[in-house]
Amino acid sequence: MSAIDAEIAGQLAADLPVEDFVRILRTFERDLLRLSHDLDQAVAIRSLEQYRRTAHSLAGAAAAVGAKRLEKVARIAMDATSATDPREVAAAIQLEAKAALAELAALADDPPG
Amino acid sequence: MAAARILIVEDTPSQAELARALLADLGHEIRIADTGAGGVAMALDWRPDGVLMDVELPDFSGFEAMRRLRASGFDGAMIVVTAHGSVSHAVEAMREGAVDFIVKPFAKARLTVTLQNALEKRALAQELRVVKAQLSRDQFHGFIGASAAMQAVYRTIESVAASRANVFITGESGTGKELAAEAVHRASPRRARPFIALNCAAIPRDLLESEIFGHVKGAFTGATESRAGAARTADGGTLFLDEIGEMPLEMQVKLLRFVQTGMVQPVGASRTEKVDVRLVSATNRDPWAEVEAGRFREDLYYRLYVVPIEMPPLRARGSDALLIARHFLAAFAAEEGKRFRAFAPEAERALAAYPWPGNVRQLQNVIRNIVVLHDGPRVERAMLPPMLLRASPAAAEGTLPEPDPMPEPAPLPVPEPVLVAPPSAVSLSAPAESAPVPPPAPATGFSWAPTGEPAVETLAALEKRHIQATLAMTAQDVPRAASLLGVNPSTIYRKLQAWKAEG
Repeated sequence: MSAIDAEIAGQLAADLPVEDFVRILRTFERDLLRLSHDLDQAVAIRSLEQYRRTAHSLAGAAAAVGAKRLEKVARIAMDATSATDPREVAAAIQLEAKAALAELAALADDPPG
Repeated sequence: MAAARILIVEDTPSQAELARALLADLGHEIRIADTGAGGVAMALDWRPDGVLMDVELPDFSGFEAMRRLRASGFDGAMIVVTAHGSVSHAVEAMREGAVDFIVKPFAKARLTVTLQNALEKRALAQELRVVKAQLSRDQFHGFIGASAAMQAVYRTIESVAASRANVFITGESGTGKELAAEAVHRASPRRARPFIALNCAAIPRDLLESEIFGHVKGAFTGATESRAGAARTADGGTLFLDEIGEMPLEMQVKLLRFVQTGMVQPVGASRTEKVDVRLVSATNRDPWAEVEAGRFREDLYYRLYVVPIEMPPLRARGSDALLIARHFLAAFAAEEGKRFRAFAPEAERALAAYPWPGNVRQLQNVIRNIVVLHDGPRVERAMLPPMLLRASPAAAEGTLPEPDPMPEPAPLPVPEPVLVAPPSAVSLSAPAESAPVPPPAPATGFSWAPTGEPAVETLAALEKRHIQATLAMTAQDVPRAASLLGVNPSTIYRKLQAWKAEG
């Protein structure tokens, strides 16, 4: 399964001028790097509030560009009832973020349409 | 839909940029705040029409931001944007004042339709508020009145104020025609420029042209200095021609030329001058009947009678009489240092039942009369002038006992007119408006010297006759008569009371 949902990314590309589409992908890349770092930090300092809030931001941002796998893992972190170890979730998020970034870089270099 | 101001409160830059990009082709002005506090401050300062509010913000939640905005009276449409699609989030969003709720990710169509719906709903709510406020207002540019008839007048004045169209005000004497003219001016873009009022009936016909158009030095005997005239003084503003029906026909020709060209030619001047004046005219007559009778030029009628405003008589304004009476009572009591605060219910019934042929001016005089001659915490029925009591007999009401009479002197009727000027002066050229003035009574109070001596009128009789003549000239308008005579209205009321006591 691809890290990026082609349908959502395609819809986004269709909705926006190509320069806006590329700019938003680039901005998302920066957001992803920052949010991944914030999530790691939240785990390190054991701040559940920062962990859930950062996961919420990640889930929203990932969903917007079609990074469905990343969104799915971030939603686990958002879930206050989840029993999954935050360290495991954070590690999974880092993996999905890297995958998403790789595919997004390709998309930004060669936008659909 | 017109371009609106949209505030995006979102701490994730890609999300904020995405929303901005998706809304770009709608033409809205968009700003972004990345914290709750920043969003609240920007919303209160910039007053956006719509807010897209993220829930998870670095300092406090979007719900808290909405709470703070509502508490500050913010009325923009707020839409919650969140990655949480739960029902509890949606319910909380609505409870905090959101008009809608969008779950990330959202397509362009979903975002734009949601936003446009919210903006339209807000615009409709605003319009509804304005209309409700307009329909229920009881004061407007100096007018007091909440009746449907006055609401229609307010709406017409508001509608016409912004245009350059000439306005023609009709209505019985005392209905507030000059106040309406001033309201047209004050509600118009000309409000910062002069409002000049001329009473065409009060100016001798030989001077009318000079009063309106001015004159140059030496234009006629007595013209020792050049004078601008009302039209030039009103340049950029409004010229109000009251009693336009009294304007001589030869002057109407000159006014027509002015209305057609906007050019002013002062008396004795060889050159004309362009002025920008909005004309408001008024008469208590039927203007078309005057045209048909040949007393008013038809071509001038069509030039001036562009937007008519008919001032309703007080008898057609429902409970406005009481609203106005309370207003005058408060004002005159403060002015005269009296304790009056309210009317007794029986007094209010009598005020409401009376037909007020002299309209607001007569009501004003009645309240002034009561305040000057009596005192107490409230106006009792026994303090009202006899004509009001006759129109609303206490026995006929039959429900409330007659109030105890006040220790003050017996009530004085609103001055019964004692007209000494010839009737023609009232009906044709005097500034007094004829409609509400009862028929002339025989002149009384003359004191003749014994036979054989030269006939000399006493000073007191002369004063009485002069005051009565002035009252007749002003249609029993005591404040106006007092102003003309250079005395306080209380002086006239006291004299009227004394003359009544004399029989």
